[in-house]
Amino acid sequence: MQASRARLFKEYKEVQREKTADPDIQLVCDDSNIFKWTALIKGPSETPFDGGVFQLAFSVPEHYPLQPPQVRFLTKIFHPNVHFKTGEICLDILKTAWSPAWTLQSVCRAIIALMAHPEPDSPLNCDSGNLLRSGDVRGYQSMARMYTRLAAMPKKG
Amino acid sequence: MGSDSIAAVPIPSAANTKNPGKKKRTNRSAKLKQYKIDARREQWLSQGAVKKKGCKDGLDDDVHVSSSPVGKQSKREMEKVGTRRRGGEDDVLIHQDSDSESPSNSPISPNSSVLCGNDSGTNFTGSSSGASSSSSSSSSGGCFSGNITEEEEDDEEEVEQEEEVDDGCLDDWEAVADALAADEKHRASPQDEPVVETDSSCEVTDGLSSGCLDSKPGSGGTVPRASGNGKAWRADDAFRPQTLPNLSKQHSMPNPRFVGGVPWSCMSVPSNCPICCEDPDLTDTSFLPCNCGFRLCLFCHKRILEQDARCPGCRKQYECEPIETEASVHGGSLTLRLARSVSMIERS
Repeated sequence: MQASRARLFKEYKEVQREKTADPDIQLVCDDSNIFKWTALIKGPSETPFDGGVFQLAFSVPEHYPLQPPQVRFLTKIFHPNVHFKTGEICLDILKTAWSPAWTLQSVCRAIIALMAHPEPDSPLNCDSGNLLRSGDVRGYQSMARMYTRLAAMPKKG
Repeated sequence: MGSDSIAAVPIPSAANTKNPGKKKRTNRSAKLKQYKIDARREQWLSQGAVKKKGCKDGLDDDVHVSSSPVGKQSKREMEKVGTRRRGGEDDVLIHQDSDSESPSNSPISPNSSVLCGNDSGTNFTGSSSGASSSSSSSSSGGCFSGNITEEEEDDEEEVEQEEEVDDGCLDDWEAVADALAADEKHRASPQDEPVVETDSSCEVTDGLSSGCLDSKPGSGGTVPRASGNGKAWRADDAFRPQTLPNLSKQHSMPNPRFVGGVPWSCMSVPSNCPICCEDPDLTDTSFLPCNCGFRLCLFCHKRILEQDARCPGCRKQYECEPIETEASVHGGSLTLRLARSVSMIERS
């Protein structure tokens, strides 16, 4: 408990110091609870998520960093490895391949990389995975772009 | 009777809690400070009875202030500093936080409670709350740290002065420290190997000798002997062999041999454990559990071994558990067994 708190505190300071280092990631700690974090990530360019801003919710376990943080999308996203309803993310480094050397910031980077390179063979969103597995890249991209416009872009007017 | 024991407490606890807050200092001052503090602690332990006797006659508010020769003046300065100290408190607080499991912090509560009863103590505790109040009062509570200011050089000097005024037990500590540094220099200079020791007291940035300039960088063992005055390469020297590790790297990975030989050299290691962010102790700094070079403290290493036992840096299994590999690999069985026994020693 104490170790995780100290570690999160250090990460918090790191985030404050390097606020402008990574313009695609904005990591914010909950005001009252250092175990709850929110991140805003920009959809990577040359993907259907380009131009969208996606919100992630981090829930850090007591035994962090020995256990990975729980992360889910709060913004709707059409992606094979993200559950469409719950926002749960299927990413190996959040499960078995977690390493205590990772930080919340690096998790955000991994999620951005996952957005650019979906893994249709372990889908949480079967519709999206099936589109990609059947080779319908265009169909996947247009669906993903539509949901990015609907959910992840500022409403006009 | 109770006041006797409490009044004796703040001095060492102030020294202890002050200590982690100053880890960021330069190597030399940190080392000296650590030396002072340890010597002080021993002094206190041996002279505890004497101090108690000294405190006995003054049972008024100023119990532990009046027991020192600094007396009223330092108290007044403490009041003055109390407001100025706010700025520096963040650092103290952070380290306080990470160190709060260590036994050195345990006397905080009696300490701060004593100060609350004290005239000067209320100045500190009144305006702030919670952990910060305890840290501020404990760090400025001891008589000897009374006029610590936010400026580090002043701080250093004043503490030195106070140290001498305070109890006279460490009058010649500077001489001792100089002797220690000279001793280290002696030990470092006859070294034949070209490795630049990062020990803080060895000045490696001095000018090069002419012999060193003449010799070729690739000529191996003769190069360091040519540098007659025992000076090594500068970090930015063109003739410095590429194979040498850079200095910044060495700061985080000190030569284990020297950690054993020079007791305080480990204090110059600035990096914390990347997992728990605690300050590494002497054993941790020489602990290299994985070939990939990823370092962590023994405590985290043990916790990882209890779980998936993979190195956080490279995700390979630590070479301690797999008995089947030990049986199957013929050539490597000896080293594997060795690794396991070594790690068992380090874990215990």
